[in-house]
Amino acid sequence: MVGPLIPMGVIPEAWNNVIALMLGAGFGFTLEASGFSSSRKIMGTFFGYDFVVLRVFFTAAVTAMTGIIYFDYMGWMDASMLYINPYYVMSAIVGGIIMGLGFALGGFCPGTSFCGVAIGKIDALFFTIGLFLGVFIFSELYPLFDKLYNGQDMGGAKIYDLLGMRQNVFAFLLIVAAVGMFYFAGFVEKKVKKVEY
Amino acid sequence: MNKRYLLLAVIVVLLGAGMLFMPNSNDNKQVNPELLLTAIDDPSRFLTTDDITDRLVKKDPALLLLDVRPAAQFKSFSIPGSVNLPVDSLLSAASMEMLKQDAKDKVFCSNSDVTADQAWIISKRLGLKRIYVMQGGINQWFNTIVKATKPAESASSKTLELYQFRVAACQHFYGSPEMAAAPKPEPRKTVTVIKKASEAASGGGC
Repeated sequence: MVGPLIPMGVIPEAWNNVIALMLGAGFGFTLEASGFSSSRKIMGTFFGYDFVVLRVFFTAAVTAMTGIIYFDYMGWMDASMLYINPYYVMSAIVGGIIMGLGFALGGFCPGTSFCGVAIGKIDALFFTIGLFLGVFIFSELYPLFDKLYNGQDMGGAKIYDLLGMRQNVFAFLLIVAAVGMFYFAGFVEKKVKKVEY
Repeated sequence: MNKRYLLLAVIVVLLGAGMLFMPNSNDNKQVNPELLLTAIDDPSRFLTTDDITDRLVKKDPALLLLDVRPAAQFKSFSIPGSVNLPVDSLLSAASMEMLKQDAKDKVFCSNSDVTADQAWIISKRLGLKRIYVMQGGINQWFNTIVKATKPAESASSKTLELYQFRVAACQHFYGSPEMAAAPKPEPRKTVTVIKKASEAASGGGC
């Protein structure tokens, strides 16, 4: 856990794994409860009958973003202390394509595949086997990928800095875009034939 | 469309619109309070008057001695080589330019070290690096360097050496030790510009 509570000593270091386990279990439970353990649900995004994935991800992004900006403004948290994943341009593009292909082919993302295994789905089981095979191949051939994997590090880049925009203007535009997308997704869902699963 | 979704959408758009009126969060960037506290506890920011004097005499280019007293006090007496930067104009653009020089040791001094310490805390909170405070301030400097008291004959050689250094430094700044009791600034030389007499116009040329 990278949050400020453990490094600042509010929660003792020993709780790190326990909290991670509880958060993971909660995440898995939520995924399963909202039907993400079905590959058909995820495939709905590609075929246009179910946009729940899009809704969930954008709602999460918009909620977290709004919370962080307001909390930072009120002085309840220090947004500059947040850890931002470094941005490796090429590995993000190549990894994104591989991940997207696997997503569309298998109907799972890594997290939901384990949810599927937990409730005994055969396709999810095969998906996770493939996942571990991929991990194995990547680790064994790591020297080959090293340059691609670690190249073009842009650090904790922020999209509004790259666009030369004010943070809050970008946030507002993202919210408007998200709401617009939700509306459009509902519109498409009505047009496309419902799939029962 | 579901009424609940509509309501949530309106709320989130309103919250987003509220962000547009917020100041940029980067505007008030400050050092983390915990780091500031540890820095305040750390006495390494204090430099002794002897140390500063040594560097002044050697004309250390990395030393920037900043006098944070008001301009009037600075005029009546100041340490030779110090620059006046009144604490109330510490945050002006020109002063910030001076304070942001990473290659220099910025040392604040005032009459005692209270005002200098205030300037130090303000600068520290802004995340400035290599900033120090002259311990005891100008009073201490005057008492130790200008009015250096002669130690007893039986004092250790280190103390005697320090005394000799102080006397020498004082002579470096003010000439003989007799004059040091009341250092008077040299009267300013008025430079009179003598205009060159205009040459007679060359008639005809070559």
